[in-house]
Amino acid sequence: MEAVQNFMELSKQVVGFIYPNEIDIQWSILIVVYPYITGLVAGAFILASLVKVFNVKELQPTYRLAMLTALAFLLIAPLPLQLHLGRPERSYEMFITPNLSSAMAMFGFVYLWYLMLVLLLEIWFEYRRDMIVWSSESTGLKKWVLKFLSLFSTDISEKAVAFDKKTVKIITIIGIPSAFLLHGYVGFIFGSIKANPWWSSVMMPVAFLFSAIVSGIAMVMLLYMIMVPLRGGKIDMKCLDKVASFLFYTVIVDFSIEVLDFIHRLYESEESIKILSQLVTTKLFMSLVVLQILMGMLLPLGLMVVIKVFRLQEEVRKLLYFVCGLLIQLGIFSTRWNVVIGGQLFSKSFRGLTTYKMELMGIEGFLVALALLIIPFVILSILIKLLPPWKKEELAGVE
Amino acid sequence: MKDFFKKLPEQAVRVVTVFIGLVLILLVVWRFILPPELKDHDLQITATVEREVAKEIKYAGAQICGQCHEKEPEIKKVGYHRDLSCESCHGAAQKHVENPTEVKPTSPKKRDYCSYCHKYNSSRPTGFPQINPDRHNPRKPCITCHNPHNPKPPTTPRSCAACHAQIERAKAASYHALIACAVCHTTPEKHKVSPRTVIPTKPDKREFCGKCHDKGSSRKGVPTVDMAAHGEKYVCWQCHYPHTLGGI
Repeated sequence: MEAVQNFMELSKQVVGFIYPNEIDIQWSILIVVYPYITGLVAGAFILASLVKVFNVKELQPTYRLAMLTALAFLLIAPLPLQLHLGRPERSYEMFITPNLSSAMAMFGFVYLWYLMLVLLLEIWFEYRRDMIVWSSESTGLKKWVLKFLSLFSTDISEKAVAFDKKTVKIITIIGIPSAFLLHGYVGFIFGSIKANPWWSSVMMPVAFLFSAIVSGIAMVMLLYMIMVPLRGGKIDMKCLDKVASFLFYTVIVDFSIEVLDFIHRLYESEESIKILSQLVTTKLFMSLVVLQILMGMLLPLGLMVVIKVFRLQEEVRKLLYFVCGLLIQLGIFSTRWNVVIGGQLFSKSFRGLTTYKMELMGIEGFLVALALLIIPFVILSILIKLLPPWKKEELAGVE
Repeated sequence: MKDFFKKLPEQAVRVVTVFIGLVLILLVVWRFILPPELKDHDLQITATVEREVAKEIKYAGAQICGQCHEKEPEIKKVGYHRDLSCESCHGAAQKHVENPTEVKPTSPKKRDYCSYCHKYNSSRPTGFPQINPDRHNPRKPCITCHNPHNPKPPTTPRSCAACHAQIERAKAASYHALIACAVCHTTPEKHKVSPRTVIPTKPDKREFCGKCHDKGSSRKGVPTVDMAAHGEKYVCWQCHYPHTLGGI
């Protein structure tokens, strides 16, 4: 009965002609959350790699935070998919019956590789010395947890620490293509659906990747601005300015790629162009034109230009950076929404549009999606408690 | 080899040991715990086939009925229902085949069964005979007039709508509503008895539509265009669908 009611409600909002199976869209808010989360992982890792591989010294205070953020979000990344598909207890079968011709199935291995051989390993080598020191300083359960996490390692000689540093660098170098693969894959999945003109584009993996880097850098910037004062420290303005600079450049690249894609579609003017322009100007107007482009991209770009051109005071800069970070998160989330939901709103007959009504409760509903977006922050706070990203001297602003 | 391990820093040995441990655990799980069907593709297929084969067979198939029932298949062979299998209407008959005297298959005699396929529905292909059950001999069982094994209509259909119901309904709401089908489609009488072999014509010249729609036409209240300049090389109905409202 409820299904019938739902159907009647949806059918009133259908515009033009759609096929009967298109009224109800299959990929819901959970599939919007999934690329958003993996994007944050890839972006945060790229920021971290700037420190280790490209030697951007100013960014050092964000390095460990970026790694922990990437880990916290990566641990949750498969959950939206598993909740959406159902039967999560069967997911291990993907690993024991590898299907080389399925991009989705192979992604399990990319995920495993990235989690085990890049993130966990790098974090372990980065924190090993500190874990040994902290475990000797602490008592009770924490001592043993840290001892276990350091795999009962004890060597903190200079030679051993030098080896750690070298390994971290090597892992980061391997990690950059891995991070690209991790998020490029998500774009690849959408880009290779040839029946859907909104998705099918070779630009898709690249556009996903750069929007991922943008969202990851913005997220680490926000977290840095929140966590440091919370832990009683002082924000390092040199570092913050540098992060914002990188954010500015990546936003420009991301924006250019999206504009290029847009112009390319217009110039190509395939038979789908009419329905797509109708989609953009009606159903997606709010989320694409207003939220994604105006508020999520042009406004932060404008703000960052203002910050760069006028020499603003520290406090004003902080405020504007914070606003930019929030706007960019909103914009990138809208980007994911517009790709995933937008691609299912128009009929394959190119003659009509359907609508998406989000559930509130239920496994594919708003509350579950919200929970999935909150859990990484809970994990991150536990990680930060256990493995503090900053030493006391660093927080006080002493080099 | 021993020297190589000695040269490795202590922490690297620990990490490598953990990874080797994980791989060993995986191997043990793979080798001893997972059932073989999960690992071997051939075994998986065999298990599926066995599972499916073990299911009870309900349908006897299209051929077997003719071995006992001689008359009906002969009639059906030449009628419009020739491509339907007997069990489509009479239901699953494997039990009847095994025990012909005691188990009898059903034979639908009520009106609503036939209307599964023949009630008007705009998504059915044009030319497929469709009726409105409320208007077409209400309450009379279909089989009083139509032999289901050769359901030829007892009388030749009077209007085109008997088979082309969808077009008829669309046309009724269009500007061409008052124009009879035969004005544009020359229809041989034989089309009504053998609809698939004798096919009516479609207007194949621009001038045909031009009789009413050319700017020189004497018809009043009809939209006109300059046929010489408008869409030169196309037949009109390639762009304007004449049966729908507005015809565009």
